[in-house]
Amino acid sequence: MYAAIRSATLFGTRGTPITVEAHVGKGLPGFTVVGLPDEGCRESRDRVRAALLSSGFEWPLRRITINLAGGGERKGGAGMDLAIAVGLLVAEGIVPVEAAERCAFIAELGLDGSLRPTAGMAPLVDAVSEFEVVVAASAAAESMLARPSRLRPVTSLLELVEVLVDGTPWPNVAVPSAHVVVDAIADMADVRGQSNARLALEVAASGFHHMLMMGPPGAGKSMLARRLPGLLPRLTEDEAFTCAMVRSAAGMQVSSAIASSPPFRSPHHNISMAAMVGGGSGHIRPGELSLASNGVLFLDEMGEFPPTVLDSLRQPLEEGVVNISRAHSSVTMPARCLLVAATNPCPCGETSPLGCMCAIAIRQRYVRRFSGPLIDRFDIRIKLVKPSTAELTGGTAGESSAVIAERVARVHHLSIERQGCLNSAIPADLLDDVAPLSRDAMSWLRGKLDEGRLSGRGYHRVRRVARTLADMNGAEIVVNTEWVEAAFGMRVPITPIIERH
Amino acid sequence: MTNRYPEWTYSAALAALPLQTPLRLRRLIALDTASHVWDMLQAGERPLVGVNDVVWRAWHKADASLLVSTAEACIDSSMTVVSMRDAPYPPSLLGDPSAPGVLFMIGDAGAFHNRRVGIIGTRHATQRGKYFAQLLGKQLSAAGVSVVSGLARGIDVESHVGALSLSAQDGCPPIAIVASGLDMVYPPEHERIWGEIGRRGLLISESPPGTPPEPHRFPMRNRILAALSEVLVVVESRATGGSMITVREAMKRDITVLAVPGAPGIGPCEGTNNLLRDGCGPVTDVTDVLVALGLDHRHMTDWCEGRPALQEDERTVMTALGRVPRSMDEISLSATLSVVNVAVILGRLEAKGWVANTNGWWEALVA
Repeated sequence: MYAAIRSATLFGTRGTPITVEAHVGKGLPGFTVVGLPDEGCRESRDRVRAALLSSGFEWPLRRITINLAGGGERKGGAGMDLAIAVGLLVAEGIVPVEAAERCAFIAELGLDGSLRPTAGMAPLVDAVSEFEVVVAASAAAESMLARPSRLRPVTSLLELVEVLVDGTPWPNVAVPSAHVVVDAIADMADVRGQSNARLALEVAASGFHHMLMMGPPGAGKSMLARRLPGLLPRLTEDEAFTCAMVRSAAGMQVSSAIASSPPFRSPHHNISMAAMVGGGSGHIRPGELSLASNGVLFLDEMGEFPPTVLDSLRQPLEEGVVNISRAHSSVTMPARCLLVAATNPCPCGETSPLGCMCAIAIRQRYVRRFSGPLIDRFDIRIKLVKPSTAELTGGTAGESSAVIAERVARVHHLSIERQGCLNSAIPADLLDDVAPLSRDAMSWLRGKLDEGRLSGRGYHRVRRVARTLADMNGAEIVVNTEWVEAAFGMRVPITPIIERH
Repeated sequence: MTNRYPEWTYSAALAALPLQTPLRLRRLIALDTASHVWDMLQAGERPLVGVNDVVWRAWHKADASLLVSTAEACIDSSMTVVSMRDAPYPPSLLGDPSAPGVLFMIGDAGAFHNRRVGIIGTRHATQRGKYFAQLLGKQLSAAGVSVVSGLARGIDVESHVGALSLSAQDGCPPIAIVASGLDMVYPPEHERIWGEIGRRGLLISESPPGTPPEPHRFPMRNRILAALSEVLVVVESRATGGSMITVREAMKRDITVLAVPGAPGIGPCEGTNNLLRDGCGPVTDVTDVLVALGLDHRHMTDWCEGRPALQEDERTVMTALGRVPRSMDEISLSATLSVVNVAVILGRLEAKGWVANTNGWWEALVA
């Protein structure tokens, strides 16, 4: 008559356990799903019915009610198909209650009764990992990311019912346990010349400073950005698993071998706001911002991104998390990523020295697409020029990523020891303690403030970058003029200045 | 018909006739005094062979209201109007085959009798080119030479900025020839210097007040610029463009054209380097120009550098930078200094006014 079966549904990047209640009773024959199911959930009815019939069970010609219990939140995804089917079988008395109680069921059903993986297997399994978790055999590897103690991969509904009814042993499916592997990342040694950009990249990695590169096509902006994950420390096992969980929640294929390199996401500029920060209709999916968490989010041709999408990045970058709020629910997802953006200085893309003939109004219009507050978020703003042919063909290869990563790791360690966070995250009120300025440096910066070449926010940001530069060079706690000046030099204005006469 | 207005108002009105061109205006002015010509037009006499029916119909519609409105606009902006028949008309334009029939001016027409050097160049100049134009304008002005230029963006305006950087006693009034009406400031960011040239120098145009800066007026303006210059200095120019039109106009009139050598392979220096290849005299400092004018240049030798002196390391970077635009990497390689060092030193040099940066390219601001 009645059954309560464990399953899980996805909220953002996290799985939440829910109870699927099934009731089969008197009344007109019918099948309703209640408990705020979304469109995908409601389609379960037809899949479950077909799967049960295909597996040779009778379809009860009575009134069937399914309740997805747990909070007032909208539930989505096809992962509850199996739980609904098992619930019906228990309510019909085909499967014993005790057998079903030990387990949680997460799988989508095929019309032939086969079990299929659903999006977000890892966080879903994680939500119910203290039980025996029944999943599709093909989803076993991904499910292992949650490191459940007892994973029960099966291939079909019939196979599962045999185990639950007859007490036969679970089918033996070889499941590789999830492990972190050291994968290859493009090496900085491939970059010739560009010593200025290399330095900026190292500073960005060392202090986790957001960075904007302006330069003509062919200057190597994308090449440099792609090598940035290689300068960051490898992910710890926990971080690597978290990253993989987010990827799984986003419905991406995840294997049991997890990359230890920080993620690198480079969305195309036609991206929607929901795809960038997360969201979507129905159940909330993580966006590129969360997928890049602990790694690098690279926006190539930043000028081509819709301004609304760019501006939606501001608050999450500041807080390290992104909140998606809906009328029914609110979801928090990770968003702690290093933002690297690249743009041309003007529409012409001229690469020869001073070859650009764009009118100043055109150049201004081109960069005015970026809002001031967003530009202000970039601690480092550098201008790149296209390296000469001699540099490209002849120049000596630069340091390799491994060498730089070692120095970066040292700065990370140093700054965590000192203030418990990386340099870009030093709170403004702590700056005087962890990055006190020398007398000269202070008066130099004050001069820039007076000249109007530095905003109040910029003042703090320059000090943070100066702290990173000082750390990189093993300087004392006091920050000298040299580092302040160098930090200021890494913050070039992006708006062309109209020369008024 | 009795004349109720001063003679200049008729000159202004003739210039302001619809579909007016420099050639038609010159012919009209050559016929008779402006007031007589105006009366002829009003009386319905078709004065010229070169006037077709369309133009004639347009001219015929013009009445006293054009005369009054043009005169009022001239008075509002304190313009003076001179025709070829009037005394203040620049003597160097009198014999010119394509001289403007009527000139609108703000300022002191006495500047026409100074020694005059035209300084022209591209609107998209290098920082070093702009610096050089400014320096040249200043030094020529100090030597008692009027700087003649077009008040366009880039080289043009910099030469005037240099000329006006001296006080009225030390400098010489500059002359600016613009394409639009004198009450239509273009480009808008030059509003301040536009007014200052009117007060301290001479601002002239052949276009009546209210004429917008239409593209075809700029090449026409260039012929007056060339004709008013005794020597024409091209600081920077692309292979083609407005500056090259002025150069051709100057060469037609046997006016000496000098060019400033620039770095090879840099767009804004291509035209000037071509001129040098074709036999123009080079300008490396103000002396070359003064010699071309036949002026005494000996007192110009001890020019005082106003910027803060260079430190040892700054001099190293300046040497490494040389006279072509370079990227920070190139400087750091040839100065054998670390990038951080170079960045810091370049920042200091920029603050002191010794270098400038455009889209990642650094230039030394030296002559």
